[in-house]
Formats: sequence, C-alpha cells, structure tokens
Amino acid sequence: MSANAPSEKIERRKLATKPFARADRIFFGVSTAAAYSSFVIIALILIFLVGRAIPAFQTQGIIDFAFGSTWDSAATPAKFQLGPMLWGSILISLIGVVIAVPLAISIAYFIEFMAHKTLAKVVTTVVDLLAAIPSIVLGLWGAFVFSPIAAGWAKMLNQSMGWIPIFDNPEQNFLRSPFIAGIVVAVMIVPIIASITREIFSQMDRDIINASLALGGNRESTFRKVILPTAASGVIGGVLLGLGRALGETVAVLYVLNISFDINWGNVLQAKGGSVASMIISKFGEANPDEISALMAAGLVLFVFTLIINSLASYIVAKAQPWRK
Amino acid sequence: MEKIVDLTPVARPKTAAPWSRKSPQFKLYASLASVVPAAVALGVIALTGMDFMAALFIVFLPIQVIAAALVGVSVYGRRGILEGLLVVATIFLSSFVFVLLGSVIWSVISNGFAALSPSFIFQNNYYIQPKTSLEYGGVGHSIVGSLLIVGLSTIVTVPLGLATAVYLTETQGKSKGIIRTLLQAMSGLPSVVSGLFIYAMFIASGITTYAGWTGSLALIPLMLPTVARVTEEALRLVPVELRNGALALGAPAWRAFVQVTLPAAKSGIVTAILLGVARVIGETAPLVLTTFAADRTNLNVFDGAMGSLPTYLFNYIAFGFDESIQRAWGAALVILILVAILFISARVASRTRTKARK
Repeated sequence: MSANAPSEKIERRKLATKPFARADRIFFGVSTAAAYSSFVIIALILIFLVGRAIPAFQTQGIIDFAFGSTWDSAATPAKFQLGPMLWGSILISLIGVVIAVPLAISIAYFIEFMAHKTLAKVVTTVVDLLAAIPSIVLGLWGAFVFSPIAAGWAKMLNQSMGWIPIFDNPEQNFLRSPFIAGIVVAVMIVPIIASITREIFSQMDRDIINASLALGGNRESTFRKVILPTAASGVIGGVLLGLGRALGETVAVLYVLNISFDINWGNVLQAKGGSVASMIISKFGEANPDEISALMAAGLVLFVFTLIINSLASYIVAKAQPWRK
Repeated sequence: MEKIVDLTPVARPKTAAPWSRKSPQFKLYASLASVVPAAVALGVIALTGMDFMAALFIVFLPIQVIAAALVGVSVYGRRGILEGLLVVATIFLSSFVFVLLGSVIWSVISNGFAALSPSFIFQNNYYIQPKTSLEYGGVGHSIVGSLLIVGLSTIVTVPLGLATAVYLTETQGKSKGIIRTLLQAMSGLPSVVSGLFIYAMFIASGITTYAGWTGSLALIPLMLPTVARVTEEALRLVPVELRNGALALGAPAWRAFVQVTLPAAKSGIVTAILLGVARVIGETAPLVLTTFAADRTNLNVFDGAMGSLPTYLFNYIAFGFDESIQRAWGAALVILILVAILFISARVASRTRTKARK
C-alpha cells in the first residue's frame, strides 16, 4: 500500500515489541514450542514409519509393492503387494464421497436457508452427534443392521441396471461389497462435509442472496447461480477433507467389506474389495516380522496419501474462510 | 415562492423483507402441497397394504415432486419446476440423514439394552469364555481401562493444545497459518497410522511391551487437533479490550493471559477438553495396535496388559457367537452413553459461556 505514495515516506513505527520480562519470554517460548510440536509429531511419524518400512521396500521393490496384487507371507520369498488395497481404498472413498456430497450439501442448505431457527439448531446438533459416533459402533451397526438392508438395495440396482458393467454381479451375493462399505463411509463423512459447508454458507453475504430473491429469482436459481459459485471453493475443500477421512477409515470398513487381493476394478456390487487401513488392522494380529514391515510400508503409503489430500484440503478451506484470518 | 420537493427516498422500514414476501395464494398452495402427497401415500398404504418403502418411493415421492413443481409453476412460471425439485430433494435428503442416525442409535439401544445389567457394567472379564451367558462377566475392566488410557492422554494433550492455541491467538508468530493448516490436516490423520507409529517407536524397537501408556500416546495425535482448534476459537472470543486493558495496567503477557484471558475463556476450554475426549474415547485401531486387551482389571497404566472398551468391542465382534455379539452391542451402548455424556456436558458448558456474555 505504501508503495503507491512515495511522497510520504514516513518510517512506520513498529508497534509489535519483543517480550522483555524473562517470565514472558518463557511464556511465549513454551507456546511456540507447543505449536511446533505438531510439526514434530508429523516428522516423527514419517521417520519411524520409513525406518520400519525400508526392509519391505528393499525386498519387494517400490513399484511392485505399490501396484502388484499378491499378498502371501507363506511363500518363499514372501510377497507383499498393495495394489488391490490401494485401488479398493480409492474406490470406496469415491463411492462414499459421491453419496455423501449431496446429503451434506442439502443438509447444510436446509440448516442455513430453509429451516426455522429452532429446527436448524436441532438439525445442527444431530449432525454433530453423527460426527461423534465412534467408527467401531458404526461398523457394528453396518455389519448387523445395515448390511442386509443395503444388500436389498444392491439387488434392486443389479436387477434394474445390471446391464451397466459396474452394477454387474455374476455371483449374486450382495453382502460385504464396496458399495455397502462406501455407504458406511458416507455416513462417517457426511458430518465433516456438512459442517464445513454450513460454516461457509453461514458466512456468506446475505445481501447478495436477498438481492437475488428480490429480483425475482427463486430458491433454485439463487442456489445455482449465487450460493454455489460463491461457496464452491470452500465446499470443495470440505469434500477433500471428507475424502481424506474416507481413505483412512479403518474399523467401520473392516466389518462390511470382504477384503480380497483379487483386484476388483469397478464391479461395486461384487463381494470383494480392498482398503489399506482395514487390511493393516486385519493382518496385524498374526503377522511375522517381515509382514509387519510390509504393513508399516502400507501405513506409510496411507499416511503420505492422506497427508497430501488433507493439507491441500485445509489450505483450500483456509483460503475460503478469510474471516478466520 | 419556490416549491420545495422532498427528494429523499422513503426509508425502508427495518422489518420489511421484500424477498420473503409471499402471496396468500402461494401460502395456500404450499400448505396443500405439503399435506396432500403424504395423505395420499398413507391412504394407499391403508387401503392396499403396500410395503412402506415401496409406497415411499413409488407413490409418495413422485406425487410430492409433482405437487412441489406445481406450486413452483404457480409462482415463477415454468422455471418454478426446478424450485419444486430443489425443495423436495433438500428435505428428503436431510431427513435421510436423520433416519440413518436414528437407525444407528436405535439399533445400539435396543440391542445393547438386553446386555446391560449391573454385573455387565461392574464385573470384569476374567474366567469368561466367548460363549458364557450374559449373567456373568462384563466390561468393568474395560471402562476403567478406557478412562485411564484416555485420562493419561488428556493430561498430556490438554496443556499441549492449550499452549498451541495460545501461540495461535496471543503471539505475533510468523508460522500461524501453516500451523493451523497442519492441525486441520492432522485432524484427518488415519487412526491406524497413529497406532502403527507408536508401535514402531516403542514396541517394535523393544523399549516396552504392550501397556496402557502406549495406547495413551497413540491417542495424542488424534486428540490434539480437536483440543487446539476448539480452544483457539474460545480464546478468540475473549474481547480484545480485556487483554489490552490488563496489558495497559502493566501486567506482563503471561499474567494477563492467566488472570484475564484464561478465566474469561474457561467454559470454552472445558468444551474443548470434553470434545477432545469424546473424539478419542471410541478410537479402536490405535488401541488394537498398541495395547493388549486384558481380562482382568488393571489399575496401572504403566505396566501390563490393559483392556479398554473399543478393544473389548473389537474382540467380541471377532468371536462371532451370538453371546459375544450380544456383549459387543452392550459395550457399544456403554461407549455411546459415555460419548453422549461428554457431548451433553460440552453443550452445557458452551451454553453457560453464551449466557455469561449477554
């Protein structure tokens, strides 16, 4: 700003001062150290996982480890390849996001623009509650209550639209498929996407919405032409955060998915799929040291994946929320 | 004499809201559209005995969409059709989320209630086989274990989170933005990775065997982002005048924080702690990887195997017998009750905060 006015070259006084009392220096030092502890934690996770994963990478080869599709600890030499799990995780997360986004956006829209204040408060509480349910409880529900119902839906999909390749299912067994795992994951990430979308919506300039309505726009055109374009980047950030959470979902997926190293490219109704996180926890109990190293490598891949997606997402969300400074 | 024309526009009354003005005709149509389809669907169910879900999708939804579209057309003309669709879709999808949550909570309560009894809550699991009937044994040791493990990680995480929040609000630090982004990214850390990390750091390297405290450590990275972010919000809500006043009176920054800002943000910080605990009390994967589920009550976090509610749930689902699944539902209900208590206390704490501000 001052570059535009070269004539008034007044040295600005620095208002921020350094803490001078020793107690204050300690106070600020401690808080700075604590703030950097999150860096330290991330770095430690990376160091230790890399350290444990190196033997697996050396014996398996990085390319084979990431894209091959055999996991056999009994073979000589043992083969640990992550391909089907990696693709399965992505597939399930995509299904989850596709289902969760419409739900989350409509619930955020309902809270912010449609519901009466009291009702909006109730719905907000419900969404927060849904976020607070532990994933293992959702897994239990998914396995014993929801799976049979969702298998019915899957059967309907298969019968009505079975000619589309992704809804094909020759075995006619509809339980434990990526489709069901995707829905359970969607239930987990709806609250995350919804709460970020709601916050973006609530901070929007009400005047432009009211202007659109007063000019004769209806709800739909206001939503499509005013609300969505303004909120788009924040919503995308929220969706990415949900995607990151979906990739890392562990126990809930474990109970509703048949984990199989026979790769399933896209038959979402078939009873075989993969998930890196769930595979780790299901193999960990009976793993020998070599396999543990491979599982560490799998965890490292998962960690790097989610860290990149989450950092990107939080960067976008932070950009979309300038009022947070 | 010149005539004075008053050109100032008529001020719009504060209460006027031209965008929300609706004609009585529209109100009539709208109320008809919200009642008739439901009535028709209920009538069809009553008359033909149709399956509820089928009636919902075949009878109710199409009629509701048509009715809403007609209302839209009556107000906006042809482009009102989409308006009707939007309204129906929003309300339908939102209620779907309600139904999902209701289904989760109802199934846990109805299935878990049968398992719940004083002995289930207070006894431990020693001498209990997966097929033992439900009169014997329970989750007492797991409740104690969960509270100890989560308690230890709370003791470590809360000061850390509080100090991080202080850095984000009270200082002029340069890397605030990146730390905030990192915290947000950490809140999406897969819980299984956190468990693997502590396993690699302490157990695989032979520093310790399975114990309660390794589980506590594995929960810290998951709890820290929640505590730090909610505390930051709470500190930010304290008026700047308060802390500037304290500083102007000559107080050093730490004293201003401890004696002015901290008391003002007290209930917000309590909310942060409660939400952080609620976030990790049901975390399963890290505890499965870093603690070894015990059957006996263990009061020492630093030594020996220690059971916890999530690992109990995890093991009993894996057994797969009717009795063990029954116990799993019971444990799920206990976890849900704990989460509900934490959640409601957090609500109450934040409500007292808003009241005090008025």
